[in-house]
Amino acid sequence: MQTDPITFAVIKNALDSIADEMAYTVLRTARSEIVKDVMDYSAAVCGRDGSMLAQAKTIALHLGAVPEAMAHVFERFGDDINPGDAIILNDPYQGGMHLPDIFMFVPIFHDDALQGFGVVICHHTDVGGRVPGSNASDSTEIYQEGLRLPVLKLYDRGKPNAMLFEIIERNVRLPDRVIGDLKAQYAACHVGAREIRKLFDRYGVETCQGYFSELLDYAERMTREQIAAWPDGTWHFIDHLDNDGFTDTPIPISVAITVEGDQLIVDYEGSAAQVPAALNSTKSYTNSCTYLSVRSVLKGDVPNNAGVFRCIEVRAPKASILDPVLPAACAARALTGYRVVDAMLGALAQIVPDRVPAAGEGGNTVVSLGGYVEGRPFIIVDMICGAWGGRPDRDGVEAITNPSQNLSNTPVEVMERQHPVRIEDYALIRDSAGPGKWRGGLGIARAYRLLSPSASLQLRSDRVTHQPYGLAGGGCGRATHNTLTTGDKEVALLGKVTRTMVQGQVLRHEQAGAGGFGDPLERAPEHVAQDVWNDKISAAYALRWHGVVVDPATGALDAEATARERACRLAPETPA
Amino acid sequence: MDAGRSARIGVDIGGTFTDIVLQTADGELHQSKVPTRPDDMAAAVVEGMGALLGSVGLPPDTVREVVHGTTVGSNAILQRRGARTGLITTHGFRDVLEIGRIRTPEMFDLSWVKPEPLVPRRWRVEVEERIGADGAIVRPLDRDGLLERCAWLVSEGVEAVAICFLNSYVNPAHEQAAREAISAAFPDLVLTASCDVLPEIKEYERTSTTVVNAYLLKEMRAYLERLSEQLATAGFDAPLLVMSSAGGVMGAGQVAQKPVFAVGSGPAGGVIGAARLSQESGVRHAIVFDMGGTTAKASVVDDGAPMLTSEYEFRDGISSPSRFVKGGGYMLKVPAIDIAEVGAGGGSIAWIDAGGLLRVGPHSAGADPGPAAYGAGNGLPTVTDANVHLGLLNPVALAGGTMPIHAALATEALRRHVAEPLGLSVDAAAHGVRELANAAMARAIRAVTVESGRDPRDFTLIACGGSGPLHAADLARQLGIGRVVVPIMSGVFCSVGMLASDVEHNLSRALVAQLDDCAAEDFDAVAGALRDEAEAVLRAEGFAANRIGLGFAADMRYLGQSADLTVPFAPGPFGPDLRERLRTDFLAAYHAAFGYADDTAVELVTLRVAASGAREAPLRFTGAGARVAGADGIAASERMVAFGRDAPFAPVPVVGRDAITSTPRPGPLVIEAYDTTVAVPPSCSVAVDNCGSLVLTLDDL
Repeated sequence: MQTDPITFAVIKNALDSIADEMAYTVLRTARSEIVKDVMDYSAAVCGRDGSMLAQAKTIALHLGAVPEAMAHVFERFGDDINPGDAIILNDPYQGGMHLPDIFMFVPIFHDDALQGFGVVICHHTDVGGRVPGSNASDSTEIYQEGLRLPVLKLYDRGKPNAMLFEIIERNVRLPDRVIGDLKAQYAACHVGAREIRKLFDRYGVETCQGYFSELLDYAERMTREQIAAWPDGTWHFIDHLDNDGFTDTPIPISVAITVEGDQLIVDYEGSAAQVPAALNSTKSYTNSCTYLSVRSVLKGDVPNNAGVFRCIEVRAPKASILDPVLPAACAARALTGYRVVDAMLGALAQIVPDRVPAAGEGGNTVVSLGGYVEGRPFIIVDMICGAWGGRPDRDGVEAITNPSQNLSNTPVEVMERQHPVRIEDYALIRDSAGPGKWRGGLGIARAYRLLSPSASLQLRSDRVTHQPYGLAGGGCGRATHNTLTTGDKEVALLGKVTRTMVQGQVLRHEQAGAGGFGDPLERAPEHVAQDVWNDKISAAYALRWHGVVVDPATGALDAEATARERACRLAPETPA
Repeated sequence: MDAGRSARIGVDIGGTFTDIVLQTADGELHQSKVPTRPDDMAAAVVEGMGALLGSVGLPPDTVREVVHGTTVGSNAILQRRGARTGLITTHGFRDVLEIGRIRTPEMFDLSWVKPEPLVPRRWRVEVEERIGADGAIVRPLDRDGLLERCAWLVSEGVEAVAICFLNSYVNPAHEQAAREAISAAFPDLVLTASCDVLPEIKEYERTSTTVVNAYLLKEMRAYLERLSEQLATAGFDAPLLVMSSAGGVMGAGQVAQKPVFAVGSGPAGGVIGAARLSQESGVRHAIVFDMGGTTAKASVVDDGAPMLTSEYEFRDGISSPSRFVKGGGYMLKVPAIDIAEVGAGGGSIAWIDAGGLLRVGPHSAGADPGPAAYGAGNGLPTVTDANVHLGLLNPVALAGGTMPIHAALATEALRRHVAEPLGLSVDAAAHGVRELANAAMARAIRAVTVESGRDPRDFTLIACGGSGPLHAADLARQLGIGRVVVPIMSGVFCSVGMLASDVEHNLSRALVAQLDDCAAEDFDAVAGALRDEAEAVLRAEGFAANRIGLGFAADMRYLGQSADLTVPFAPGPFGPDLRERLRTDFLAAYHAAFGYADDTAVELVTLRVAASGAREAPLRFTGAGARVAGADGIAASERMVAFGRDAPFAPVPVVGRDAITSTPRPGPLVIEAYDTTVAVPPSCSVAVDNCGSLVLTLDDL
């Protein structure tokens, strides 16, 4: 087709702003903290064949899973997709990721013909199962994890499916929140459809569809152009999850990236078999993590659409932790996904070393607390982020979303007003950064005092035994630490915990710091002194890792002593 | 003082020019542009005012008031020139300011750098104290520890201190006690407690707002004092008023206490001017579109009232029209006019990206060296160059002949950097650059309309700024808008607008209750307290009862939501009628915005009152109102202009503004004035309305 560069750019911008507008609608209409404060949701516009055309600035990792979910929608309903329908699913074995993430697809019709889809995925506060929040990492079968929804119509030709609404209401702990958030998804899809139809009105349906295809080709072209400039060959990296929560055995995530001209083949052979815990990542989610990792190292403003996906072939062994089969549990699959991203970035760092940071915190920690206050249920699903690793030309970042998500946080005052907890601490952890020429971001701590008589606690964290890696000679970030304090007695907790907490106990999570990039002895002494002055590292840390001598009270650099110290460290060891 | 010989003055300090507009008591408007002096902004203002008064033949003591839009606040943040600021927090929470809300404004960008907090970690200190979520004191305030930490901050050279304790929005006792104790012990320290600035839930937003206030106090006070002194020395004795971010005016004394309310002071004037204009010309729904050299801004005016937002992020560079993006700047939770800004202006540079796509902005050639056509050394094509090539801008000189233009340089820049790489003709490239700039600017307009569920086709476009009237008609056609209004003095319209604003105070009080359960006495008590407070404030400022206006509104939402919709209501005792009216209006507003509304529980959150004091002689555009002094006197001529890719170069009349009358004149036409150029494309006609504005009517829309 003849493309006009101007109309093309206008349509591209229009799709981006429509996706953002859908996301904004969710934010304004949702009713649970996990969506409206933490922003664990995503929005996208898909073409009539289901290809993702544009995504909002939300959870990137959700959206690589859309193609497979969409395939199941077409398989189930085929020609029976009608104006006014809203189709939902959450089954990880039918296009979903884990049960709390409910996908919604609303078809967009124009002149009686299907022309695309509005898609919104929300993490719901609860979908039933054995633990409040439905997020346990120690479930052993998916049947323990809550309500499993195959591809179903929540609205059929505009009419609500009363039976389905009732089933959902009966199976979740907080039906008001869940139904309210489903309606937020519905509202957002409708806003998206309304705006897409305006685009059709302005430019004509077939013109728009032509440009939609061109937009995918454009993203593919931009991606291939960059991959073609990478050296051909195969690069390996292996990273680990600490364990599955039942044993101490580390779980390897092994990746081999092969560059073949302008195509990537990503093979996860050598990764762990599926585990009898909820850490299993569906193949669709594995794909998502892979696409996202590659997208993150591309230069420039490549559109976030299915054109990028075409350049990447993903292989994972069947019945592995990266492509599980029934009845594997999946609730905590995000953790595995984070490690997939870490492993991918570790391999990519060998291909494009000037574009990849050292490892970040290793994924957001999830703290779920659920129970009853005077007979009324409460559920907290809190997410704690994060830190970025040191980068080839600058420091990492502290207090920041994992780059594969775009999460926010629940304000302490909102949390305390809604729920029977008091947050005692929410702070950066001094000295937790991985040292390097460019240091990693500091880890973050958050402590919860329970004010209700008791609650069930689900803690999902990692990087307790496998610290975030450094690159190019940079050091690891400090490991994760969890403690539970009763009165003045503090005990260490493991990374993954399911237990009861009682009134007055304080759960404290100290998240891992991020890895450093480059030799710590090459870090500019002024930067080290600045970090001491600003109370981000101690003078002892400065001396130990950087060989830099700083006055702890004033942050003043002692240049002479530093030069002596560094010379001594760099000198070849002489026999005594 | 002879009332017929008095004047009011509006002053807008821009990056390059300081615009001054003077209105005499008989309504005549005079304008002047003087170079901004970054080293001494007050001096430029005072000299420029003196010169303008001199040209009108009025002495300084005839000036009754000076309204000022200042970028002192915004620049102090952007250039990090504020006070050395410390922050005192509850134990365990010194990092709230730095942690923020965690998100990044862009995705997939691993090189992103988080903005440095205005207070470094070293100067963020903690004290023992704790208030619970219910307001109960969990741990008493440790005064000795507090003063010890303060003494340390002072020893570090800290000049200003912000205090923000957890849950102080419920119970401010500890913050107040801390404030008293510190000011007694350290009288020279500049202090701000969060309960005095923003007594609202969400610790990060409150802390950030309080810190910005503390950070700006010293500089804003010094600036306003210097300006007041120089005004007094020059013989001005009029009160100095400052535009707030919300478009009201505040006394200079108020701003010296709460400068955070005036960070967005600069661009507010144009929106307020447009609001007044839309009232007088009977425009119900207007989009105010202001296009300058680097950015374009869009804002909505409904029924003569600007659209306000309750929080925004102040940042360096360009705002994204996507309003759920967080993390890009300094969060200010204060009322501000909801202005969407995109990086497309006359100076925006056109370029080709790696995928072969034409892009415009966000890089700008600025005013110096400026577009290629200025001949000052920039060889990259800008939006202005496209306009010059197409004949829309005068190919010889701009600004009444004072700014020479080199059309050949514009054409060459387009040829080399756009046309040849894309295999297009230069004409097609120029149209492309213009249309892409239009697409970006349309995004700003969409942000304030479509994103809130509003159809731009229901609006009139009010175009101002130096470049706005050159693009407005095309933008209007693209968005389906049938009518464009180019007001008088559109190139200095921000200053004009400052003369149009009322004194306004926005007060709010929490009233969290389900609509069905809300007790009448609670509602009436809160509304009554708001009324009393509003009237007291305005009376203290000298407004008689008949010049006080109160607009009540309730923030409402479905139970469980965090975002509210603001629903205006007529005050009266809270009974079944008002309850039902609030519900009905909320449901209607909700459905309009989000496409559904259900019958689940509705919650009241906050009651608000916008209390305005009408000024004695506000700007009027109609009747014996505004007359622009000095005709443009541009001789009619003709030049070759191409209005669009389907309208090739053809001879088009070029006339001065005074050649247009109330009888519609069909396009194509170019209208030149000292402060702007107006493009009137084919399929469009232009006439003058009752306010002296040029009104462009687009055919078939």
